[in-house]
Amino acid sequence: MGSLIDLLPLAYPDAVVVVGAALLGMTAGALGVFAVLRERSLVGDALAHSALPGVAVAFLVTGAKDVGTLLAGAACAGIVGALMMVGIERTSRIRPDAAIGVVLSSFFSLGIVLLTYIASTNNANQAGLEKYLFGQAAGLLERDLIVMAILSAISLTLVALLFRALKTTLFDPNFAGSVGLPVRVLEVAMTALLVVAVIVGLRTVGAILMVAMLVVPTVAARQLAGRLAVVLPVSALIGAVVGVTGALLSARAELPTGPVIVLVGFLVVMACVLLAPGRGVIWRARKLARDRRRTLTEGVMVDIETAIHAGPPPTAAELALVSGRDPRVLRRVLRRLDREGMLARDGDRLHLSEIGAAAAHAVLERRNLWSAWLEHGWQLQLPDAREPNPSDLRASLGDHYADRLQALAVKES
Amino acid sequence: MRSTAETLAAPALEVRRLTASYSSRPVLWDVDATFPMGALSAIVGPNGAGKSTLLKAALGLIATDAGQALIQGRPVKTSRDRVAYVPQRDAVDWDFPITVREVVEMGRYAQIGWVRRVQRSDQTLVADCLERVGMAAYASRQIGQLSGGQRQRVFIARALAQQAQVMVMDEPFAGVDARTEADILGLLQELRNEGRAVIVVHHDLGTVRAAFDWVLLLNVRAIAAGPVADVLTPETLRRAYGAAGGLETEEQEPRWAA
Ligand SMILES: Nc1ncnc2c1ncn2[C@@H]1O[C@H](COP(=O)(O)OP(=O)(O)OP(=O)(O)O)[C@@H](O)[C@H]1O
Ligand SMILES: [Mg+2]
Repeated sequence: MGSLIDLLPLAYPDAVVVVGAALLGMTAGALGVFAVLRERSLVGDALAHSALPGVAVAFLVTGAKDVGTLLAGAACAGIVGALMMVGIERTSRIRPDAAIGVVLSSFFSLGIVLLTYIASTNNANQAGLEKYLFGQAAGLLERDLIVMAILSAISLTLVALLFRALKTTLFDPNFAGSVGLPVRVLEVAMTALLVVAVIVGLRTVGAILMVAMLVVPTVAARQLAGRLAVVLPVSALIGAVVGVTGALLSARAELPTGPVIVLVGFLVVMACVLLAPGRGVIWRARKLARDRRRTLTEGVMVDIETAIHAGPPPTAAELALVSGRDPRVLRRVLRRLDREGMLARDGDRLHLSEIGAAAAHAVLERRNLWSAWLEHGWQLQLPDAREPNPSDLRASLGDHYADRLQALAVKES
Repeated sequence: MRSTAETLAAPALEVRRLTASYSSRPVLWDVDATFPMGALSAIVGPNGAGKSTLLKAALGLIATDAGQALIQGRPVKTSRDRVAYVPQRDAVDWDFPITVREVVEMGRYAQIGWVRRVQRSDQTLVADCLERVGMAAYASRQIGQLSGGQRQRVFIARALAQQAQVMVMDEPFAGVDARTEADILGLLQELRNEGRAVIVVHHDLGTVRAAFDWVLLLNVRAIAAGPVADVLTPETLRRAYGAAGGLETEEQEPRWAA
């Protein structure tokens, strides 16, 4: 550990903070996945809050204030809290969310009462317990880091070894049981791992905000990756980056570490939710806008084509009337068609240019093929479970089936 | 070690005096039933009859109050490799970060081992299973991007990958369209013709009559079990589903049972 800290191009105190925050972020990021994917994020929150009275009791009993002892107390209290949640859920008719609420608030209240009592005894030693509320990265010792490193190494190794079993249980517990996995044991193991994550982060982030370190990296990673085997490491990486950035910022600005880390995490999540390719909000909105615009443009081209077939080429006003489109929208589309060279104007009457006519025919053919699919698709007896893409049926079905579909439609009419 | 002949003679699934309950009310009461090998069997009964519970109890997924279940003559605990289970489709989180191929690979994990690498032969098998349910083109898709019928196909592919002699499925036809239903039914019949046992919870008595060999009529108790023609009589159906459902005369079947 010492050599790792020396390696970093930072002053010693900063280097300790960075290593501590990286450990915290990595562990919470990876293990938090198991809370989020089981829809148990709030269990993580309750575990973190339950840890607080554990810290206070450990201090009262041992009088020590080294991180190791206090975290051992936190672990015990976290486990008691977890057992209580399961107990309340199993033995009464209280629903899980309510059980979580009860445990979270009562343990936290107990923690506050105990901390206040300790403060009132004026024990010279007590200075610093309030760090466990909002977290403080500064002041970690090298030997605290060693405890944290061992805990994360053990838990991450366990995750790697149990990866398939955990994945199967998370995705489909019934199936997991049917192939002989000990589902109950694995579920307990996942909760135990959460306790470990809470312990590793408690001193740096604090009880109140610890849940963010469990949830934030997973939410961000889920936006970027579609397989658990990728989500886990990405989440650990995001957690480490968020932890280190937040811890350094808070150390510089002399702010409590927890809130700063959480704010950094929030920015990362927002960025991922907005920008992620495929799943991101902006990406999806742009795709939607593109699709809408294309549908509109194609619709207008078909309108013109139909009008020309029916009689003299229409003016823009006539076209709006016949097609029932908003004249302003129509003008915009016509301008776009003009730009693309699809239109040929004859005074104020509209024609399609050569490429415009070809494009309109292609659209019509696609539409006919799609309605043929809706009507006759079942007669094709496709060999597999393909679900064709309506905007390009020919490509998704293949020429062979597209031709047969057309033949079926022609026979019908 | 049992001889092969003995294994073949043993029924695929045998349930003896099974009683199970959630909290205090029994959901299954003293159920006796056997399902033969080489047959397509249905479990039918009204909603809440305990069909899903029977499957879970038979597979040892929930604790039972009394009775036992045997797979090919042996307790489930020692014969997990002989049975493949397809849970009800809505029992899993379809937004889970996993691809179609990985789901089907799950069917191999028990054989491969939970830590060892997936072998080339397993990958080939997974690809074959996907091909067989018509989902080869979707191997790399996220499961969240599939339609209901495709999800069911993936679940069945996973069961195929287990290469079990006994396949147990909870409502594989729920919420799928006619084409998917026909495809799945065809596949199940192929499996039956290979000599396996396929046991399916199903609600459509018409399909059961037309395509299944064997049926258990369940409503907390086992009302009747045996070849379809013997079991699905107006009398037993009335006992299973009650008189409700538009019975006009004693002889007439419920409308929905036609
Ligand atoms: N986890 C559970 N806890 C408590 N009761 C349950 C649970 N699962 C099922 N039950 C009850 O047990 C009874 C049988 O349920 P089961 O799911 O086995 O019925 P089913 O025959 O599969 O019904 P369906 O046709 O609707 O699927 C029902 O009354 C149901 O309310
Ligand atoms: Mg059911």
